[in-house]
Amino acid sequence: MNYLLPVRLDRLAREYALGTLAGPARRRFERVVRSSPAASMAVDVWRQRLSVLDLAAAPVQPPESTWHGIERRLFSGPNQSASTATPIGGALQALRGLFSGRGLAGALVGALLCAVLLRTQPDLIGMEPRFDALPASYVGVLLDPVGKAALVASSRRQGRQLTVKLLQPLNVPAGHVAQMWALPKDGAAPFPVGVIPAQGTSRLALPDTSEKLFFNVSRLAVSFEKAPSNAGDAPAGAYALIGNCVKVW
Amino acid sequence: MPATESLAELLARVALRDRRAFEGLYRATSAHLFSVSLRILRNEGRADEVLQESYVSIWHHAAGYHAAAGTPMTWMINIVRNKSIDLLRARRTEVASTTEIGDEALNVAADSAGEPQRLLDDSLIKAKIAECMGTLSSQQRQALALAYYRGMVHTDIANLLNAPLGTVKGWVRRGLDQLKSCLEAAGVSGV
Repeated sequence: MNYLLPVRLDRLAREYALGTLAGPARRRFERVVRSSPAASMAVDVWRQRLSVLDLAAAPVQPPESTWHGIERRLFSGPNQSASTATPIGGALQALRGLFSGRGLAGALVGALLCAVLLRTQPDLIGMEPRFDALPASYVGVLLDPVGKAALVASSRRQGRQLTVKLLQPLNVPAGHVAQMWALPKDGAAPFPVGVIPAQGTSRLALPDTSEKLFFNVSRLAVSFEKAPSNAGDAPAGAYALIGNCVKVW
Repeated sequence: MPATESLAELLARVALRDRRAFEGLYRATSAHLFSVSLRILRNEGRADEVLQESYVSIWHHAAGYHAAAGTPMTWMINIVRNKSIDLLRARRTEVASTTEIGDEALNVAADSAGEPQRLLDDSLIKAKIAECMGTLSSQQRQALALAYYRGMVHTDIANLLNAPLGTVKGWVRRGLDQLKSCLEAAGVSGV
């Protein structure tokens, strides 16, 4: 059956989003949604329409034990409060847990089981398996002068594009552009990466892979310039945004 | 509901494995998501189980969130709805195979059907499309509400409302068509 004929796709997408698509048909369509951007988009549109039906829902506070259960499942230690945890601390904790004796054996058995199951039953893990692991990437979060996260920059290790997502609109002065800079960790002069929009998400083309370009870059920053900067230029003024970057590989 | 902008920021930080942001996201959204699961499963223990699984999934998949999928709340509600619906139906199969009178949908007392309809009406008022959706018959609205809030399939609704299956399918379809055109008429962008 061709699921992607527009009329059929819309019918399936709305029944899936509503929940009335059931049984094997629901599973089959989930596989289509995972592999087809058109199907995924059709479902998103219906979900957004249906989301107005949640506007009057009265919240119900779950018991405090729910949060501890989530912490236990994810971080294998209910006593570690998030207030003392950092992203890196959390990752180290997870690694320590993974490499403890029983954890390692369990992880190996689990990994084998997952590999077998995923080869035969890719839909078992519920949703969007393609997002299950972050690919080798270069990721940065830039903060505004009051320390609020304002921009997320990310690029695949071998990618030649930098995805820039503004978390809040950037107040670019009239007659200026928002210029992104890469700041090498050895203190060498910053080099321009590209001009970013004042809001939304955009992709900057990179002259080389991010692995080569950002190998020595520990921070990214944004300044306001009168014109797009060229190689060899220096930032004219203070940085409007600046933040650390990490290589995730 | 929490502000979309701050939830998007929290989700972006969760994608970077920020546990403090994750707890903030949980505190801001869990009561709303718990109500979604409770409405479908109507069992606190199972709703709690689904809520925990959903946040584990949110932690793992936060990087997969993109604005085109709707607001962060819409994205998270759908994770909870999907897991709740899956559990509801898996349990029903299990119960049906072990007892004679297994269909849990039949356990829905007729009066409890009133609650989804009230929730539907109140939501439509908030969305400013109550008048437009008022052109639907009460059965059409009820069928839509039972499907969305209770996770019921057409046969459940037909049993509950004692109506032919084909008629119920028509009610649901008509309800969705009307929802789409009411939102378009109201100029809700991106819909």
